[in-house]
Amino acid sequence: MDAFKLMKELRANYEQEGYYIPKETGLNLIESTEQNGAGISAKCRDAQVEDLWGLSSFFGYSTQTFVLAVNLLDRFLALMRVQPKHLSCVGLSCLHLAAQRSAPDATLSSGHELIRIGQRRFTASDLSRMEKIVAEKLHFTSSAVTPLTFLHLYHQVALGQSPSRKEVLSLEKLEAQLKACLRCMSFSKAKPSVLALALLRHEIKAIQSEDMWEMTCHVQRHLKIADAELQCWAERVARCLSDYASPRCSRPNHKKLLWVVSRRTAQNLQSSSCSVPDLPTIPEGGWDPSQSEDSSEDLSSGEESLSSSLEGEGAYFPLHLRRRR
Amino acid sequence: MCTATTRSAMSSAATTSPSVDKVDGFSRKSVRKAKQKRSQSSSQFRSQGKPIELTPLPLLTDVPAPEQPELFLKKLQQCCTVFDFMDTLSDLKMKEYKRSTLNELVDYVTVSRGYLTEQAYPDVVKMVSYNIFRTLPPSDSNEFDPEEDEPTLEASWPHLQLVYEFFIRFLESQEFQPSIAKKYIDQKFVLQLLELFDSEDPRERDYLKTVLHRIYGKFLGLRAFIRKQINNIFLRFVYETEHFNGVAELLEILGSIINGFALPLKAEHKQFLVKVLIPLHTVRSLSLFHAQLAYCIVQFLEKDPALTEPVIRGLLKFWPKTCSQKEVMFLGELEEILDVIEPTQFVKIQEPLFKQISRCVSSPHFQVAERALYYWNNEYIMSLIEENSSVILPIMFASLYRISKEHWNPAIVALVYNVLKAFMEMNSTLFDELTATYKSDRQREKKKEKEREDLWKKLEDLELKRGLRNDGIIPT
Repeated sequence: MDAFKLMKELRANYEQEGYYIPKETGLNLIESTEQNGAGISAKCRDAQVEDLWGLSSFFGYSTQTFVLAVNLLDRFLALMRVQPKHLSCVGLSCLHLAAQRSAPDATLSSGHELIRIGQRRFTASDLSRMEKIVAEKLHFTSSAVTPLTFLHLYHQVALGQSPSRKEVLSLEKLEAQLKACLRCMSFSKAKPSVLALALLRHEIKAIQSEDMWEMTCHVQRHLKIADAELQCWAERVARCLSDYASPRCSRPNHKKLLWVVSRRTAQNLQSSSCSVPDLPTIPEGGWDPSQSEDSSEDLSSGEESLSSSLEGEGAYFPLHLRRRR
Repeated sequence: MCTATTRSAMSSAATTSPSVDKVDGFSRKSVRKAKQKRSQSSSQFRSQGKPIELTPLPLLTDVPAPEQPELFLKKLQQCCTVFDFMDTLSDLKMKEYKRSTLNELVDYVTVSRGYLTEQAYPDVVKMVSYNIFRTLPPSDSNEFDPEEDEPTLEASWPHLQLVYEFFIRFLESQEFQPSIAKKYIDQKFVLQLLELFDSEDPRERDYLKTVLHRIYGKFLGLRAFIRKQINNIFLRFVYETEHFNGVAELLEILGSIINGFALPLKAEHKQFLVKVLIPLHTVRSLSLFHAQLAYCIVQFLEKDPALTEPVIRGLLKFWPKTCSQKEVMFLGELEEILDVIEPTQFVKIQEPLFKQISRCVSSPHFQVAERALYYWNNEYIMSLIEENSSVILPIMFASLYRISKEHWNPAIVALVYNVLKAFMEMNSTLFDELTATYKSDRQREKKKEKEREDLWKKLEDLELKRGLRNDGIIPT
């Protein structure tokens, strides 16, 4: 796409994006809800998004699918009061909807498979019912304008006329960073255009490319994005990404996962755990503790001196082999 | 007469092809008819024909205390007579008499005081030797499979059991003095005792285990000899015969010995671990004694953690390649070792270790894959993996990702999800990097495949064109 068309596309999306931002009041409500309260808290939502990230990674869904799913989830949660026990069903139906829409030609996992791997308790019919509800409430037809839309467009703009820059500014890396940001609820409030731009600028700053930086400023002016707003989100992005990139590993909470093994393996595991022998320990070199004073005679007896020569180092192997060493 | 019929049988068979050993994929054991198991006595001797007569002696309890030691010796002498249990009808009265005498001796040794004179020792040892030392009969069939077939039991067990009981209580008696006994319980005695461990009767082996354990404990002078002989037995077992019934029992004794090793470990013991215990893993009948073997290994490592690296390298070297049942056992043992491993040792062997685990995880045998994946449910192993995820994740990633798409067993796919999820949470950046590289690698591969196919297609077309030019003759 040439530069002119790109800019036009950007403008068009910019005008549309308002429809796809989750309701702010709804998001505020979630953020203010306490953990283990009556409603969904920010932590609940983040945990659900982590789960969806895991599943989309496992099934090989595109970034597009994941981002769309998160968008649907946030919009739905901001609109409707959802009970915590239904959250996992809502999350999975958003993912399934997104998968069906954004990658119709890719190998699609059926709802059954998603439920089985995701270790969910509800049925496939529950899933499809929830999908209908979500689609209806959000007037969802095929796609949405998400930060990813802008990211792709910005990326093309930044590359400009020289596609060789692709090596330097990696789209995959940007997508991964976007996914990392989306796992944190605070980013749902950002306008997609602003978030994507903040992300791009963060990366361009890291690779220190002057002319790409120029491009981004050009885009900012074109879309009339306020400096203060951009700066605010840029800071948050920087914080989030430094956490993501840190070598510190977080201990996974694998207790929540169900480990189902076959009967044979389960039996095998049980039997191996109880293998404590019933013969009492014989301390080396010393005498048997149940022994009386006779043992001291043993040590000074002739046979002991005979055996001690056998007990010496290397005496285990026959003489002729020992010398060969 | 006999030969004539066989010759005619053979000549009639000559018209058909000579019988060839059928190579049957299925083990013949499963097809074998249930045989009538008869317990065999190993005391094979020709009875003289005349019945054995023993004059009944009074009970020890009926005799005043000063006379008891002498009566004790007389009874011992009587019990030296061995009876033929293969013939179920002979000498029934005398067999019963000997049995009750032995019973009496067992009780006497347990409760009495002051009965153990110096004279008693040689007589006790003589009585025990006469009864238990015998040449074990060869196995009923060459194909005796210890895992599947019923063992052949010892026919003279009614007497034999009491002799063992008596001997054990004698050894454990408070009055027992090893300094006197060592003249009679010597290397020759121990050697014969060890040979008995090959008995098919598990009850006998159990008693022998206790006997040898007590002897090892009390006779310091015999310890080195016993260890050496056990080594010889194991080495012969591993490298020559692969037949010995008492490996599990001997390993149990060794377990209690290893448990008592003084630190620092002697070089002899370390040699034993590397040259004998590790090669024991290669034997086909590993399942019979694996629990005891694993216990010994783990005990060694608890004594000296520096041995971890050679042990694990040894196991990896002998990792079973065609026997999945053994692989599952190895994985179980490995987990037990990892349960006690020190983090510094873990770092030394993590690379070759996880390369093998990665292979196990992608095994088409679902039990092997399942057992390997279950490692991730072990908290301690998880903490070790977590600390070293930057090294381990790249090793495991490719096979985990591949089998999540390709494995035939849905339960395995579900377990793989658990593992991948754990890795995702552990180290997101590395995980994303690896996903990206994996995908680009796959795309490159696919491209190459396509190019190769196109090339072949071009060649085909070229060949056809050439063939058509030369009047349809395809040049060779």
